[in-house]
Amino acid sequence: MRIDTDHVGDHTQNYAVQNMSWMKTWRERLQSRLRGRETPDRSFPVLFSKFKEILALNTLVLERIATTNSMLSGDYLFDQQFIHTASKEITAVVERLVYHLDSLAPGKYPGLHAVFNRIQSEIQDELSGRRTRTSGAYVLPYERVTRYDIDDTGGKNAALAEVGNMLGLATPEGFAITAAGYHAFLDHNGLRPVIEDALRRWREGTATLQEVSKDLRERILAGALPEALHREIASGTGSLVATGPAPLVFRSSAVAEDGEQSFAGQYTSVLNVALAGTDKAYREVVASLFSESALEYARTLGIKDHEITMAVACQKMIDARVSGVLYTHNPAAPEKEQMLITATWGLGAPAVAGEARTDQFTVSREDDHPTLAVNVVRKASALRLKRGGGTRVEPVPTEQQTLPALTQEEVRRLADTALEIERYFRKPQDIEFAFDQKGRLVILQARRLSVRPDQPIRPQDLADLHSRYPVLMKNQGVIARKGIAFGRVRIVRKEEDLVGFPEGGILVARYASPVFAKVLAHAAGIITDVGAITGHLATVAREFRVPAIFNCGDATRILPDGAAITLDAEENIIYQGTVKELNQYRMVEAPMEEAYEFRLLRRVLRKIEPLRLLDPAERNFVPEACQSLHDITRFIHEKAVQTLIDFHVYNMATPQSVSGRLELPLPLDLVIIDIGGGLVAGARGRVGLEAVASVPMCALLEGMTRPGVWSNEPMSVDFAGFMSSLTRTFSTELADPRHVGRNLAVLSREYANISLRLGYHFTMIDAYVSDRISDNYVYFRFFGGVTEEERRSRRARLLNDILLEKDFRVEVHGDLVIGRATKLDAEGMRRRLSMLGVLIGFTRQLDVRMVDEERVSEFKQHFNKLLEDDHE
Amino acid sequence: MSEQTSILILDDEPIVTKRLKPSLEKKGYEVETFTESKDALQRIRQRTFDIVVTDLKMEGMDGMQFLTEVKKRSPDTEVIVITGFATMETAKESFQKGVFDFLAKPFKLGEIAAVIEKADAKRRGR
Repeated sequence: MRIDTDHVGDHTQNYAVQNMSWMKTWRERLQSRLRGRETPDRSFPVLFSKFKEILALNTLVLERIATTNSMLSGDYLFDQQFIHTASKEITAVVERLVYHLDSLAPGKYPGLHAVFNRIQSEIQDELSGRRTRTSGAYVLPYERVTRYDIDDTGGKNAALAEVGNMLGLATPEGFAITAAGYHAFLDHNGLRPVIEDALRRWREGTATLQEVSKDLRERILAGALPEALHREIASGTGSLVATGPAPLVFRSSAVAEDGEQSFAGQYTSVLNVALAGTDKAYREVVASLFSESALEYARTLGIKDHEITMAVACQKMIDARVSGVLYTHNPAAPEKEQMLITATWGLGAPAVAGEARTDQFTVSREDDHPTLAVNVVRKASALRLKRGGGTRVEPVPTEQQTLPALTQEEVRRLADTALEIERYFRKPQDIEFAFDQKGRLVILQARRLSVRPDQPIRPQDLADLHSRYPVLMKNQGVIARKGIAFGRVRIVRKEEDLVGFPEGGILVARYASPVFAKVLAHAAGIITDVGAITGHLATVAREFRVPAIFNCGDATRILPDGAAITLDAEENIIYQGTVKELNQYRMVEAPMEEAYEFRLLRRVLRKIEPLRLLDPAERNFVPEACQSLHDITRFIHEKAVQTLIDFHVYNMATPQSVSGRLELPLPLDLVIIDIGGGLVAGARGRVGLEAVASVPMCALLEGMTRPGVWSNEPMSVDFAGFMSSLTRTFSTELADPRHVGRNLAVLSREYANISLRLGYHFTMIDAYVSDRISDNYVYFRFFGGVTEEERRSRRARLLNDILLEKDFRVEVHGDLVIGRATKLDAEGMRRRLSMLGVLIGFTRQLDVRMVDEERVSEFKQHFNKLLEDDHE
Repeated sequence: MSEQTSILILDDEPIVTKRLKPSLEKKGYEVETFTESKDALQRIRQRTFDIVVTDLKMEGMDGMQFLTEVKKRSPDTEVIVITGFATMETAKESFQKGVFDFLAKPFKLGEIAAVIEKADAKRRGR
């Protein structure tokens, strides 16, 4: 008797039932029993092979998603072909999952196909550039806009919303009119083919830029807003003026504008819009998308035709006493460490357009920001809000005309705030600001500043840096997020060390714990001794653009706390002190996340990666609620286990059944399906431990049922104190009976496949243990559920450490931990399974208890102690 | 490094050349990049490169022609083939001879740098 030794989780379909003679025999036995009730292809071995295929594909999907996300680290060179191939592969695997669930439970989840098809076609649309859906909200209030909405809201809206929502700085009240709104407007007026055609003619040279631009702008200005768009804008403006009357401003927020590429000054803003004029203002801003200069600029930057999309910002105007613009660096001489500020009385529009005389301040970037140079001009007039609506140019009282527009205190506040914004976005910034009548500093816009020094640093100037500057570490570890950072080392040993994390510090820690995510907005860089680039913190580092090197070995020992260092997470070198060439290079280097490929991959991943479908007990745990391929994968996994259990419960639970329900001294409901020698002869129905004959299952149960492993058991003395601290605060999550159950073991004498859901953990073990060493294997897969990322990640790390110690090959992808051990003798396999049993009992509590970093090593020590106590 | 090693990169996806160029220049190489094989072909008729990195662009077969031409003109030029994972096997079969190494896209910037370093060492060892 032999089982195919391919492990579940290997990327193959080699669970071919025909090779399993034990199954054949068993199937014949079973079929005779089932005849008349079930068609032959619904026999258990067939179902089980499909089930195993689902488990394997499930793992494959999770792995592929993690790998694809890691491309965003910037350390990989990937191209469009890769994005297409990877999306196609993941989609194909999920399609097979859908197919397999359908054959496992025919016709039971009809909605799944439709959902899969919808998500698949959304992915296809992204890949082919048809980002033209008119579904989705036409209007998004700033409070609800996140960085992820940049493709809907455009860069200007997203950056401003982020400044307000993430940094808590004052910004205008407002909302985004989305890309979906733009497409709805085009469709309503039949403009889409017209635009495509016009742009094509320009590209082919059969129409001039002037002709194309004029034609498109006129058509847009003559267009009508679809009713729904008009209504949503009206409702948005209605709630803006509800908090106090003020004129509105409509500004461009092109989807490839600012934040992504700076189209400074290319598009129109319409000031001083009254409620009656909103539709017209909207059209004017949209039309500016096709101005000659904007079209030309888009072409220079290589923006694709289909990417040209105008989202619009609608904001309440600020009653500004003084307005201006700040550059966080001198664009022509970034090495000077200066900020440039221009300011004028009243509203900023004339200053921004270069139409008003402005005071200029040159300010140091260093603490306290001493003013290095001032040029105060006579400012005879100012644009101001009119009482009762509108704006007008007013004369400035003579005595104020030659006063500096900003006080020293205002300059300092402004400079501090600007640096905070720069640190957050990690590139030099071009910031529009206003001080209102109450002296409040309001940020009107923040976008990347193009820095063009006279003598720019060239890449080749960086070739011999490592021989000119002291190198602290080189080529240790892996790049989790590319980039260059400068700052002082802040060693973080425990969670409390995060309190008061210094602005712009470089976080150095033992582990890449997701708990650090909360300070990433303030950290210049991250370095860890241990950590995977597929982990959660790596993903967050990519989101926050924080240069990061993980798995460096002993950075916490080598890098002194408080020391100034340069982290070059492009060449994987850490320098002592500040390497000024790298500092300059960083400022001029084009951010890679602006490349089309990065944008496309991020957009595609949004349809693939997010997991929202979590709790099977929730009413919305239905196909229709799936929004990503990950959701579908999760749904199918849950339903596959359920189907097998139902099959047992409804079809086979007869007194003559070959299966039963295992009675354990643990709060664990385990259904057993015996496919040949898994239970002792004659055992059926409710069976006890002694009835289990399956070699791998016995070993696993031996571990699970050891005293101290499950918390309601007696335990060794010094362990008791530790465990009692656990039971005291036992989570309701574990106590809730809905979350216990749905556990299944399929057994033969030498084989066991066990699916467990405990709390929100999904554990799967697949093992074969015989006297033939070369056939033996244990496969262990663990996937976490709904608890906080930090705890899940700590748990993943703990599992990783433990499994490695016990000679498993281990892969960790985010929450997913996979361990494999092969070709050990039966005793070696039994010991490992027994260890896994202990581990399962343990991990069940970890979500709840992994409250801080120290717990990881604490748990590991206790775990090892427990193994020793009973085993060695 | 006594004198600068020259590298020509040909790949029809601009992202590849756009990211490889500064990354290799930072390591002290002299780098020229092309996204059209006819332009690259023209260039190698004008001068010799120490190392050539090329995609195969299997649809048009122009990568192959290019590679053959490079080797014909300057047998000492080390050629590194970068290609999508799917076309890797074909690539290897077609070019067992004369190619210094193959890299499947996507790869890490550090990986290609290491291969180039090896090719450079071999060249200098001659």
